[in-house]
Amino acid sequence: MIAGIPISKNSYQALVLSVLGIALVLIMLLSLSLGAYAIPFSSVLAILGEQFGLSLEGVDRSAANVLLQIRLPRIIITLLIGGGLGIAGAALQGLFRNPLVEPGLIGVSSGSALFAVVFIVLVPGLVSGSLIQNLGMPLFAFLGGLTHVWAVYQLARTQGRTDTATLILAGVAINALAGALIGLTLFFADDSALRSFTFWSLGDLGASSWGKFPVAIALIGIPSIMLMLEYRNLNALSLGEREAFHMGISVQRVKIKTLILSALIVGVGVSLAGMIGFVGLVVPHLIRIGFGANHRLVLPASFLLGAILLNVADLMARTVVSPAELPIGVLTALIGAPFFIYLIFKLNKINS
Amino acid sequence: MLQAEDIHFCIRQRPIVKKASISVNPGEILAVLGPNGAGKSTLFKILAGEISCTRGQVDYNGQNLKALKTHQLASVRAVMPQHSTVSFPFTAREVVELGLPKDSKRNSERNIREVMELTKVVHLEDRLYQQLSGGEKQRVQLARVLIQIWEKKPFPRYLLLDEPTSSLDISQQHIVLDILKKLKSQNIGVLIVLHDLNLAAHYADRIAIVKDGLIAGFGKVEEVYSETLLSEVFDHPIRLVRDQETQQILVSSNSKFHSDLKISKQAQA
Repeated sequence: MIAGIPISKNSYQALVLSVLGIALVLIMLLSLSLGAYAIPFSSVLAILGEQFGLSLEGVDRSAANVLLQIRLPRIIITLLIGGGLGIAGAALQGLFRNPLVEPGLIGVSSGSALFAVVFIVLVPGLVSGSLIQNLGMPLFAFLGGLTHVWAVYQLARTQGRTDTATLILAGVAINALAGALIGLTLFFADDSALRSFTFWSLGDLGASSWGKFPVAIALIGIPSIMLMLEYRNLNALSLGEREAFHMGISVQRVKIKTLILSALIVGVGVSLAGMIGFVGLVVPHLIRIGFGANHRLVLPASFLLGAILLNVADLMARTVVSPAELPIGVLTALIGAPFFIYLIFKLNKINS
Repeated sequence: MLQAEDIHFCIRQRPIVKKASISVNPGEILAVLGPNGAGKSTLFKILAGEISCTRGQVDYNGQNLKALKTHQLASVRAVMPQHSTVSFPFTAREVVELGLPKDSKRNSERNIREVMELTKVVHLEDRLYQQLSGGEKQRVQLARVLIQIWEKKPFPRYLLLDEPTSSLDISQQHIVLDILKKLKSQNIGVLIVLHDLNLAAHYADRIAIVKDGLIAGFGKVEEVYSETLLSEVFDHPIRLVRDQETQQILVSSNSKFHSDLKISKQAQA
């Protein structure tokens, strides 16, 4: 807590969340303004104001189009995916009682990726924004993520407990298997499917459009809110599964719910933007270090910080080599991987 | 009353607990003693509802354990396992708050204060749980467990503890058991698995001795503690003496003192 200032817990949490929320809004406004086609900040506000019925003069039509049709959907979808990865990471870490758990590590991402690739190869014409495209691929990816996380979870479970070492090993094995199957699927793919895959696999938010928004809000936004409501159960689980049961929690139901919601969020995220690593690992960690371990705060704050970080990463991806774009997955891995190594060292020190 | 009747539990056809009957009255401390592998832990898990017995039944206040939902069970009994780890950096107070029942919004602040005062952890509230000493951790866990059954209710509640003192030094052991003693007035029945025969003799109202999945002795300390029974159950020569000052039973497991004890007994006679 902030030293010396008597501040109640609820208002402390509200304060943290408001600060993160304001930071998110600021970074979104900045993202709207910057890019290959620079739009001055004042115009950004004018264009947005116009949408809310404020008619201001001097709104540039082409700028408004870029902003409303290209950047705004991209930024909002980035917000949902980043936030979703953050909160799914926090929930999975809470469920597995392990701060090293990450959707990518335990097979959710690769499972989603495998199913998404199968979908890309089997259902041709990815560019067309039909309903089956917009809804089919996310749901297919969700199924992939769910089956994989379920498999890993079952493999790692012995006598009702989840052993961490087995969990990580099972994740490695499942990831390797999924990687091999992705390779095999690609072997049978044609050129156009290969091209779609290459862009998609490195993480690509550039294809975000309003057409994808309903899927993102329904299948990432709503599950995220449902996860936030699980804070009490996840708190109890951090004492241990036995203890949570003693405290009157139906552990099995909480597990199934958390796994399904997380797989849904990550699977849909992967299908929309490819594999984006490390957000789910780094974000909950930063929140815990900064503001404590209570899931009542960790879950929503991870969502906000995940949204902030992915928007920053996307902004960098768009602007660093402008007018070209870096793949976002490359960027998050470049930042995330060294952080992960640092984390392992730090945990080793604590344990020894 | 917490009552277990004729409970029976097998692992791969091998009976671990056989025909065990035991009961805990509200307002008393029942100590469960027995050598390693006697079935204490299994008995404990059956009473806590973690595993269900193959035969026989467990009743909490006359209600069958199997008929109670997880959250209903949590409102009549709290459980303190031997070791609890906390996987994330919670503060001591946050750990205690985790134990709050879902429906206790009104008096939660006062209740937290009361249990933390009772377990003497108020001064630790902002410290990280992971950085506390063994005794402090155990007291924080005790507070966390107590808060679950602290709110006064018209029916008796039960607290089950599995060797809560096994990793504590002697003064910490007495601190924890003194806290349990104070619970009697709260209409709480305490069942505690112990290894220390002296500690059990000092604090328990009744004793249950478990051997090979059977209840080998059940009753008041004076009734159950006998040199022949204890020596046989623990497969080790055990002598009983009286403390000259407090007149309490002391258990000696060092056979070298054999002759000394005889002398002290003669002196008493």
